[in-house]
Amino acid sequence: MVKVFSSLCFTAALALAAPAVELKSAGPLTFGPNGTLFAGDSAAGRIIAFETNDTKPSKGGTVEIKGVNTKIAALLGTTADQILIADMAVNPISKNIYFSVARGRGPEAVPMILRADTAGNISEFALASAKQSSVSLTDVPAEGGRQRMEAITDLGFVEGKVVVAGLSDEDFASSLRSIPYPFEAAAKGAGIEIFHGAHGRFETNAPVRTFVPYTIKDKAYILAAYTCTPLVRIPVSDLKPGAKVKGTTIAELGNRNRPLDMIAYEKDGHAYILMANSSRGVMKLKGEGLDGYAPITAQTEKQGVPYETVETLKGVQQLDKYDATHGLTLSDEAGSLNVRTISLP
Amino acid sequence: MRTLLLLLVLTPVLHAQAVLRSADGKVYWVEKPAPGEMFQVYAGEGDVPPVLGAFSAENGRLVFRPRFLLADEVRAIFRGVVTRFPALRAAAVSSTVVEAVYPTVDRLPENLLKFYVSFSGSMQRGEGWTRLQLLQADGKPVELPFLEIDQELWDPGNRRFTILFDPGRIKRGVLPLSEVGPALVVGRTYTLVVDAGWRDAAGAPLRAGYRKTFTVSEAERRPIEPSAWQMVTPRAGTRDPLTVEFGRPLDSALALRLITADVAGQARLRDGERRWEFVPKEPWTAGEHRLNIDVTLEDLAGNRVGRPFDVDVFNPVTRKITGETVVLPFRIESR
Repeated sequence: MVKVFSSLCFTAALALAAPAVELKSAGPLTFGPNGTLFAGDSAAGRIIAFETNDTKPSKGGTVEIKGVNTKIAALLGTTADQILIADMAVNPISKNIYFSVARGRGPEAVPMILRADTAGNISEFALASAKQSSVSLTDVPAEGGRQRMEAITDLGFVEGKVVVAGLSDEDFASSLRSIPYPFEAAAKGAGIEIFHGAHGRFETNAPVRTFVPYTIKDKAYILAAYTCTPLVRIPVSDLKPGAKVKGTTIAELGNRNRPLDMIAYEKDGHAYILMANSSRGVMKLKGEGLDGYAPITAQTEKQGVPYETVETLKGVQQLDKYDATHGLTLSDEAGSLNVRTISLP
Repeated sequence: MRTLLLLLVLTPVLHAQAVLRSADGKVYWVEKPAPGEMFQVYAGEGDVPPVLGAFSAENGRLVFRPRFLLADEVRAIFRGVVTRFPALRAAAVSSTVVEAVYPTVDRLPENLLKFYVSFSGSMQRGEGWTRLQLLQADGKPVELPFLEIDQELWDPGNRRFTILFDPGRIKRGVLPLSEVGPALVVGRTYTLVVDAGWRDAAGAPLRAGYRKTFTVSEAERRPIEPSAWQMVTPRAGTRDPLTVEFGRPLDSALALRLITADVAGQARLRDGERRWEFVPKEPWTAGEHRLNIDVTLEDLAGNRVGRPFDVDVFNPVTRKITGETVVLPFRIESR
């Protein structure tokens, strides 16, 4: 007779049954309403919605997980250099933290979603036991092509729709797809063209690296950032299947830089956007009057929305909003990846 | 007898017992634990959680099956006693090499778009940008010449890595490049260096590093014109190759995938990716044949069929071809 002990078995035992959807890769994460977790799987060309049932409200509190890469590696029975963390998302209800992770770095890498509670205890989020639905994207770059892993570069949830940034298989490759949830069928994305001031040209093939849903005068927008850091405003209402949309470039934030993550928040009655970058630190941008900046349409260096660099935040790779006054960061500090809550600056 | 058993079960300090491991490393167990007793397996040191896996009671044993095979050294703790298990695998031996860097030619246009690094085996993700350098002739590195994409551009087997130049550092048109200037300058010599420390899928570093030295020539801004290609057709009844001279090097990966003949066979690139050769599976049959060329074929600077790279596709004034493929007919003569 086989008897099951311990909470650890719960996840593993269930995984023996064929999961409803098998992740081929674990990429961007975002939360929708009622604890629904959306995960982007570029390799499978699919967005999966998991009902986490992780809906017990919590205020959270101060979180600090030092060496989260080492802890995840130990849980998965390997070394920290064999773990890649693709994204981190806070469940806005429970304040538990979800990570999309690859165990291994070769072609046999296993994609997983892990969860840390506010005390820093890390466990597997058992995909197979979660109620789920998925939608396949119709126009992703060819399987096996070098751009396939950029099919989905970021996810957001806006007004009942999952917004998916990435590349399509079209000539006009930079794509924003808007998919109503609950899922029915995925339509084609809208192709996005922007004027990139630092490059002095229009671009249609570079994918959005990170975006944040943002309301300007009661209208829903996507604020999207690209490599070499143009910041672009795109009305959500323009994201119609097959449409070719011109984004409005409202800032150039500097060359030789990749934007990594963005959040929007309010403090002392003012709106701000916090953006983590590969080589230009964490920027705090003024979030008001974003409809008032003259569109950038000529070659330029830094221009547009003003910002300050937050000197206290170093090595930030992932950002998410924790509560009204706190953010959650994943920072690389001398090779150790540390997760902690920060007071929003 | 019954009393003795009860005593054994209730005794709080039980005799020390080691955790055992099967030879294949898939199962860990202890014999006859007391009810509720557990052991834990750890793969790391310090404040880390135990390894993920499933416990079960099987024929009086407490059995643990880790979710993943634990190939490195691990320790198990039962009744306060630590059992250490050695690594299951020998240290990985270097065997993987860089087979080639494409383009293979040593004169490259200043608006070069990308390199492909082709490995003999599967590689690890996540360290590419720390293992590549572009050196100037004096040995000093060019600062950030490439677009360092987090996702890394690999083929599905992790054997071919695509390096894209930072689009902000590719000289285009007459526009001046601000701030940092172009990565490549006409007439200068550069060396692309692949560091030997780059690890393959087994965790071993490369057997050797790789260096590709090249000189930069004028920018290439002409679209690809298949109608200008020189074709040499074989005779019917032979399996001699059909050869197509492009007149300039093309993107190797795209040329092999996007140029197809109307019969089955094997294509290869020669002469620094300037020539495409195709050997049919069956001997050529006399008559009309066709080559299909997907218009997304690119040269080294990203110029496509009928369309140069620097085009605003919102106002596609220079775009001539609207179809998906261009057909090049050819005739195989009978002997």
